[in-house]
Amino acid sequence: MNTKVLVIDDEPQIRRALRAGLERSGYEVILAASGEEGLDLAALHNPDLIILDLAMPGTDGYEVCRQVRSWSRAPIIVLSVREGEEDKIKALDLGADDYLTKPFGMGELSARLRAVLRRTSVPGEPDEPTFSCENLAVDFAHRRVTVDGQEVHLTPKEYDLLRYMCLNADRVLTHRQLLTKVWGPEYADDSHTLRVHIANLRNKIEKTPERPRFVHTETRVGYRFRTAG
Amino acid sequence: MTGIIKTTGADASIANIPMLYLLVVIGAALLLGRAAAILASIASFFSFDYFFVAPRYQLTVQEPAEWLALCIFLLTATVTGQLMALLRARAEEAQRRKLETAALAEASWAVASELDRDVALRKVLSRLAEIVRPEEAALLAPDDKGECHAIAKYRAAGGGEEAALGIAGDAIKFVLAEGRSIGWDKSRHWQKALGEADRPSAAYLPIVTENQVLGVLYLRLPGTRRLVPIEMQVVDSLANHAAVLLQRDRLMKAQARAQALAEADRLKTALLSMVSHDFRSPLTSIKASVSSILEDGSPVDPEVQRGLLQGVVQETDRLNRMVGNILDLSRLESGAWQPLAEPTSVAELVGAALDCFGKEENERIHVELDRAVAEVTVDAVQMVQVLKNLLENSLKYSPPGSAVELATHWQDGLFVLEVLDCGPGLPRGDEQRVFEPFYRAPGWKESAVPGVGIGLALCRGLVEANGGHLSALNREGGGCVFRVTLPHNETSQGKQRDPS
Repeated sequence: MNTKVLVIDDEPQIRRALRAGLERSGYEVILAASGEEGLDLAALHNPDLIILDLAMPGTDGYEVCRQVRSWSRAPIIVLSVREGEEDKIKALDLGADDYLTKPFGMGELSARLRAVLRRTSVPGEPDEPTFSCENLAVDFAHRRVTVDGQEVHLTPKEYDLLRYMCLNADRVLTHRQLLTKVWGPEYADDSHTLRVHIANLRNKIEKTPERPRFVHTETRVGYRFRTAG
Repeated sequence: MTGIIKTTGADASIANIPMLYLLVVIGAALLLGRAAAILASIASFFSFDYFFVAPRYQLTVQEPAEWLALCIFLLTATVTGQLMALLRARAEEAQRRKLETAALAEASWAVASELDRDVALRKVLSRLAEIVRPEEAALLAPDDKGECHAIAKYRAAGGGEEAALGIAGDAIKFVLAEGRSIGWDKSRHWQKALGEADRPSAAYLPIVTENQVLGVLYLRLPGTRRLVPIEMQVVDSLANHAAVLLQRDRLMKAQARAQALAEADRLKTALLSMVSHDFRSPLTSIKASVSSILEDGSPVDPEVQRGLLQGVVQETDRLNRMVGNILDLSRLESGAWQPLAEPTSVAELVGAALDCFGKEENERIHVELDRAVAEVTVDAVQMVQVLKNLLENSLKYSPPGSAVELATHWQDGLFVLEVLDCGPGLPRGDEQRVFEPFYRAPGWKESAVPGVGIGLALCRGLVEANGGHLSALNREGGGCVFRVTLPHNETSQGKQRDPS
């Protein structure tokens, strides 16, 4: 069965282009011209992935995101023409998995789609006891982290942080999400703590911490663990 | 008085005489003051002694009892005279206080009611002149460039506004810089700065609020006159009124500047958000369309590819129109696009505008021309642009497939052209705002309907440049009307082009 992708965008030409591009990559495409129609079609077809424009008249992307998240785990990639990080953070905190800034190319979108879909097989808990990416390996069962086969000693929080990021590899995680998941809801605004731990983590696992290979900074928004260089 | 007493024979009874003299003393005290009262008392004393006390016509006195009477008279006259003079002084002071209070009240009212700084300052100065009676007075304030000008002038000798006053430029500069007065109190701090050995002939007071010198009050008193402390208080108080006025004026100007900046900022923000949304949307369409063809994958269906590329062409046109409208609006606003008015056939104008639309759109446009052969005197290129933008706007905001009407008629000597649609109409109460640059009706802001709120602003600018008027109103039963009215200049009797 083909992967079903629901595209919600009010620009007809963008819908047409996305349909053509996605169909060529082997996806089954459903189109919705408004937020309302998008919610109906999402309930009807139960898509594997949703591509959602944030700026729409009527029911906007945020509202769609919030409503879809109340019953579905389908990954959502939001499209935004705005530069503002606040919009991205808002959408991500509402449960979106990734974002793309307009204008974007089909190649970019396909890459994000693949990364997001790869993760859906590991929803929350690892079904494999280890995670490895290039020279980095994480053994979840023994809480062991090795770089080039050498064990690296992480503090419990550093380990938790790395584990959570590995489990959500290639996904943008907002400061708030990381703080809430690793430290707890009462730390949600303590971005200083997060910065300190990220810096320590980079020093321990990155070859060149100033040009991180794994823990990538999404300025003002959060961090992303990159599996592909 | 002595004469009156003599002639009337009032001296028959000596008891009346001192009373009559007392009357003289009281009169002198009331009319002429303290010194006159003392003089009158002494004169009365001697006259009484000389003319009426025995031996008459001598200053000597025989009876010790009469000595007593004379002395008591002198005492009574002096005391009464002084009391009367005091009363007079009190009355005078009360009168002056009343004047001062009235002057201050009037100045306060001028400050409160008069928004024009110069008028209000002139009022304050004329009140000051009434109280102090100077030879010359003026209120000076620096302008934006820092040069000090007399905003209000007064001259006792007349000579009107043009008469030059004896204002010393150095003194003004000193007061503005130092915030201290010259020639007002006994302080002589200014002597070193100005190099004047003696007291200057005029006073210069700083007009100050919150440690800021806003202006200078110049005051030249006649001759050697000095102000009494109460008058100085009044002058200080009026200077404070002037300070309030100048400060308020300064704040009002600052506010006006801030408003202008806020407006410019609003336009800039609107332009930026427009670039962000309205330019990026077509760019996104184009990039997504082209890249979806370029990406590796299964072969593209030729029909799909054609559709995508057609979309790219349309989006490119849309971007180009937006850029064109923005450039036209800025050209028009900067005055670089003057209309070239010439007699133009209405039918040709409409035809040229319709030419810009495709077959599908033309089927939606219903045209109804009244006296289609008639001509109007306008810039043809600009008017076609107006018609095109109006039609495009109406097509855009109407339900797909619905009709748009274009109708012309003559009304009260004016040429009226209307574009009517069946769209959602204009937001109530905001009908005229659609002509503001970058305005988009609420609810349309984030919509995919292309448009940046430039087209209508440009239309209004073009119509007004051609001497006409463009208005928008809602139709009864839905939709809206854009109405262009132009002065009716049929070439036969209308304005001819300049033959030169």
